[in-house]
Amino acid sequence: MKKFRSNKLAIFLFTFPALLLFIVFVFIPILQVFAYSFTKWNGISAPEFTGLKNYIRLFTDKVFYTSNKNMFIFAILVTVYQMVFATIFAIAVSDAKIKGRKFFRVAYFIPVVLSVTVVCQLWLSILNAESGLLNTMLRSLGIDFQQNWLSDRYKSIYAIAFVNAWQWMGYQFALIVAGIKTISTDYYEAAQIDGANAAIAHRKITIPLLAETYKSSLIIAITGGIKAFTEMYIMTKGGPGTSTYTLAYMMYSSAFRSKEYGYGLAAASMLVLECLAAIIVINAVFKSNDLDAVKKKKRRLFA
Amino acid sequence: MRKRMIGLFLSMTMVASLLVGCGSKTEAPTEAKTETATEATTETEDTQEPVTLTIYAQYADDDTKIPYDYAVEKLKEAYPNVTLELIVQAQDDGMTLNTMAASDNLPDIFQANTDIINSFRETNQIMDVTEVAKSTGFEEKVFDSCKELLYADDGKIYVFPYAGQEYVMWYYNKALFEQYNLEVPTTYEELLNCVKVFNENDILPMSLFGQEGWAAAAMYDTIATRYTQGGIKALDEGSASVKDETYVNATKTMSELVNAGMFSADVTNTNYDQASALFLEGKAAMFLNGQWYIPDATEKLGDDVDWMYYPAQDAASYEAGKAVFSGGGSTSGYAVNPNGEHAQLAAEVAAFISEKYCESKILNGKVFVSQDTGLKAEGELAPMMQKLSDTIPSITSMTKFTWGLTNATFKAGIEDQTRFLLSPQYTPDEFVNEMDAVIGRMNE
Repeated sequence: MKKFRSNKLAIFLFTFPALLLFIVFVFIPILQVFAYSFTKWNGISAPEFTGLKNYIRLFTDKVFYTSNKNMFIFAILVTVYQMVFATIFAIAVSDAKIKGRKFFRVAYFIPVVLSVTVVCQLWLSILNAESGLLNTMLRSLGIDFQQNWLSDRYKSIYAIAFVNAWQWMGYQFALIVAGIKTISTDYYEAAQIDGANAAIAHRKITIPLLAETYKSSLIIAITGGIKAFTEMYIMTKGGPGTSTYTLAYMMYSSAFRSKEYGYGLAAASMLVLECLAAIIVINAVFKSNDLDAVKKKKRRLFA
Repeated sequence: MRKRMIGLFLSMTMVASLLVGCGSKTEAPTEAKTETATEATTETEDTQEPVTLTIYAQYADDDTKIPYDYAVEKLKEAYPNVTLELIVQAQDDGMTLNTMAASDNLPDIFQANTDIINSFRETNQIMDVTEVAKSTGFEEKVFDSCKELLYADDGKIYVFPYAGQEYVMWYYNKALFEQYNLEVPTTYEELLNCVKVFNENDILPMSLFGQEGWAAAAMYDTIATRYTQGGIKALDEGSASVKDETYVNATKTMSELVNAGMFSADVTNTNYDQASALFLEGKAAMFLNGQWYIPDATEKLGDDVDWMYYPAQDAASYEAGKAVFSGGGSTSGYAVNPNGEHAQLAAEVAAFISEKYCESKILNGKVFVSQDTGLKAEGELAPMMQKLSDTIPSITSMTKFTWGLTNATFKAGIEDQTRFLLSPQYTPDEFVNEMDAVIGRMNE
């Protein structure tokens, strides 16, 4: 193993194909996004360099702030919903005493394999203000809480975020279930002997040992939230008006509808930067937690 | 050393790929290439060698399938050596076509609107077909009233249009109006009364597919044209300001109608199928759509359906407004890729297909085409169509559908903002200020 690791040529040969693909299809396009964001371009003719003009316009554009606000709401709602419910359901189905756990394991994952379009159409029917299942149910139960779920300029982003969170929760659920399976049952038996009940055992054992899984899940959930687009496109077309725009939708609208590719790519650049910032913050948080844990361990050892 | 070599290699790969990617796709087709294309065409025509032309065309419903199939049949007789390979046009705001253009992969023939013409002529990716329009007699056959649809703003012909002037109609269910003893509204005051009565009886006053930006913009335009005949066309051309009193009043009127409950609560998420079903099933009293909807409405509702002149702020404006219609034509139709292998032949075929589209539409009772085909509709026109045909000579001014607008920024802006105005939570002031900002950006 040591010999292999010291063989730089072998490392290069094995990593080069993947690295080349990454550079050509990911890294270079990202660089191009940044390069073109400083231009005025209609997508076909030669771009014209305009310096920081697109960015100045971006930072004075109300839609940019609406898009960012929506992006945060979306990311936070999706992350919280998915993390909380995926954890609860994963712990539940990992318990051998739970009946029908195989069924639930499949059931929770089903929305993930459905097409986004199908899921959006399903929820469009449920959330329709006039004839939707949700409002009809509320009406028939005598609950005065009927809403214009997708037509309300302030609330529709929550409804859309919920749809995304509902669909992809199963994915996080699968990751966490897989993570739980890697934890040795010895820990739980030891905890039981020490008098810990199930809740304490999961809080003290399961969740800390799933730190790496949570890190991946968080990155997937948050970056997924930041680049949200499909649900808005299918369910509200960014509307009413521009009230459910996200940065990804703003990029699409500017580039493909307004034919302002340069401006759209300035929005895309911000999207890339925000995704990177989110990943850096998540890594930093988990790193500092790791350091805290090591320090605590050392303190215990030397106490 | 090896590390440096690897680093250097990776850097060079990256720079090379970046340069390739950044390379401009603006290379103009050289004359030599065009000449070759012409020579090739002549040769092909002489020898009657089979030629396959790719065509990017709408082929989604009866309105688009019937004329296409008819044109293809006729093409087999007139050009037996030509085969068309259809690429069905995506409803994606021209995104696919733009991508094809950016990758220099345009089909031989494609449908283009004003926006596409403006973009593609900058990069010489749309053929100037003025000569072909003259030599094939296409130009001559175009109705005088539609001549403006033929020429771009530089006086050249880039497309062979088949659609003539088109009209935004307010359809209404006569039976429902009679049932609730309501007169067809001529003023907004009367319209608001109708809205109130219909809402009290669980009838949706106006069914609108507000999910589509053009429908929301058309609704605004039908109101704006009652105050000023330029409507959204004048805003697009920059000859009016959205802060003008007329537009502000139009905005306030639309907002007032929205707040009175003229549209469904979910209007911004209502698609065409849903909106049309509500109207055809008698659950909505009025419906906004183009004149192309006349056959469908007549087929389903028979004598119970008619169209009305748009209501106005007062009786005098209503009468004056009868000569001003929202809608209109646009310089759009079949265009040709000048870099295609058989560009000249493709141009002739495009002209032929457009002509046959007109024939097919006429034969199917759709009289609003761009040119005189010498044919007449089989049977009598539907009463609504006849009424419109009788009205057309008195129309003095038209605006535009959003797809005919010249500025893409304005088009996206007016579609978004009018959809927003359909929400009771959006104020007229917000609309005016946002549209003013959009119009400001248009001129940058």
